[in-house]
Amino acid sequence: MKRTRTIQKKKQTPKPGRSIEKAKPGRTTVYIIGDGPIVAEYVSLCSSHGFSTVFDFNTPPETVPSFDSGLVRKSAQIPRDAAFALELTNVDLERKRRNIEMLDRVLPATTAIASSSVTIAATEQASWIKHKYRLVGCCALPTLGQRPLIEIAPTVFSPAGTVQVVQRFFQSLGKEIELVQDRVGMVFPRILCGIINEAAFALQDEIASPRDIDTAMQLGASWPVGPIVMADRIGLEQVYAVLAALHNDLGEDRYRVAPLLKQMAVSGTWWHRTLALSEERQPL
Amino acid sequence: MVKHLGIVGAGTMGAGIAQLAALAGIEVSLYDINGTVLRQALERIKTGLKIGVEKGGLSENQTTEAFARVHPRTRLGELNHSEIVVEAVIEELRIKKDLFKHLEADTKPTTILASTTSSISITAIASATRHPENVVGLHFLNSPTSARLVEIVQAKQTSPESVQRSIDFTTQLHKIAVLVQDSPGFIVNRMVQPFYGEAIRILGERVADAGQIDRILRVLGGFDRGPFESMDAVGLDLCLSVTQSMHDQTFGEPRYRPHPIQKQMVESGMLGQKSGSGFYKHHENE
Repeated sequence: MKRTRTIQKKKQTPKPGRSIEKAKPGRTTVYIIGDGPIVAEYVSLCSSHGFSTVFDFNTPPETVPSFDSGLVRKSAQIPRDAAFALELTNVDLERKRRNIEMLDRVLPATTAIASSSVTIAATEQASWIKHKYRLVGCCALPTLGQRPLIEIAPTVFSPAGTVQVVQRFFQSLGKEIELVQDRVGMVFPRILCGIINEAAFALQDEIASPRDIDTAMQLGASWPVGPIVMADRIGLEQVYAVLAALHNDLGEDRYRVAPLLKQMAVSGTWWHRTLALSEERQPL
Repeated sequence: MVKHLGIVGAGTMGAGIAQLAALAGIEVSLYDINGTVLRQALERIKTGLKIGVEKGGLSENQTTEAFARVHPRTRLGELNHSEIVVEAVIEELRIKKDLFKHLEADTKPTTILASTTSSISITAIASATRHPENVVGLHFLNSPTSARLVEIVQAKQTSPESVQRSIDFTTQLHKIAVLVQDSPGFIVNRMVQPFYGEAIRILGERVADAGQIDRILRVLGGFDRGPFESMDAVGLDLCLSVTQSMHDQTFGEPRYRPHPIQKQMVESGMLGQKSGSGFYKHHENE
């Protein structure tokens, strides 16, 4: 405790290029908090790469996943020795702010925080905390944790040192890095959610059935899956959060959310007329 | 089952559909106003069938028989036996309307009149006929011989029976049909709008460069090609004209608003693969 305080005092005036503690498998504790499915993905990923992993959910999912690794522990307390923190909340931004403020208070000043900046810019997040230099944005949406690439968004406060630590951390999880500008929606979520929103407008206007939309895009454009399956995989709550954030941030009508999508996101189910259009659609 | 098919317009699309149908055992009357185009189409079909033999799957016999089923026609009246007539002429509403009016006079009252348009309202084309319930859109994707999908477009006036007959016809051609209500872009061209449009905006706002965006879409999204690679392959002029047409047809829906970058690229002559450069340099063409 005493040591932490000394370090914090010493590093109150961050300089560009300051050295943030490097996260290393085998002797580093990683703390992960956020929305259920993404947290579960990163817990598996970090523990399978040798990190001692402590995690918590914003809201416990109905069935808490079990991780059969001795390196994993669920705890409501942020471990004070954590050398790397992942904040993966996209939906409840008030909760996100509380999480980040808490992380900044509890963690040593040398601990970097990678925070999902899909629905709120990382720079804005950094402005909430005292040790602004320690936060870097990253792209976290359900299922993307399993992919071998991650978008990283440095903030206006991020010194090269912090960015490097965050890059190395994700590289140690087997990911390629794409450094992008710190903007709401980043790259992939903005395009993906735009596609899903377009599909929701088409469904709402009863232009085609969900199944035909997916078939058309797979066969007609060689997409890996159609927009309806994409939405199912990511989860409509997350998709809605990204679209609402884009609309709010860019203020253009182009980004208004299809009312059907909003209804589906808040109700967790498909709208009755959509259901009628599709013979075999199950509620999400 | 369709036994006689009429095709109007012997360009790439018309010839491709003729080849498909002939292979499916359908007698095809292929019409074009221009005799040279018609001769070229027959050559193209012959070559297409030969490739089918080389790539395997087709025997010499099958292709000879198929080729014998394609009958070049120079008078519209010769399409009168057709159960379905497919139109594949220039994308201009006035010309299509005029053609459909003539086709209706020259064919049986039960003949399905189908347009392969990708951007013109089927409802508007149907309005030129006395039996608009027989008019339908059959949007074959490029190229008709290799793409597996056909979008069946139901105009405001199209009858359910015509839709069903169109679905049966595409099944006969070994294609997979999806049904879409007549609306700008149908399904495929509509859904690719955010894929291209947001990517261009992200580039325009300097969030990431084209190479990065493509890599992200390939690796994170599992797409075969990123948006810029796709646009370069399709042609930037074509992408812009589709977007522009959708924007016009929806009276300015902002989701389909073209981006100045697109216009600038087209103005500069950087049209993608076909011009040697687009968002990328295509060295083989230089």
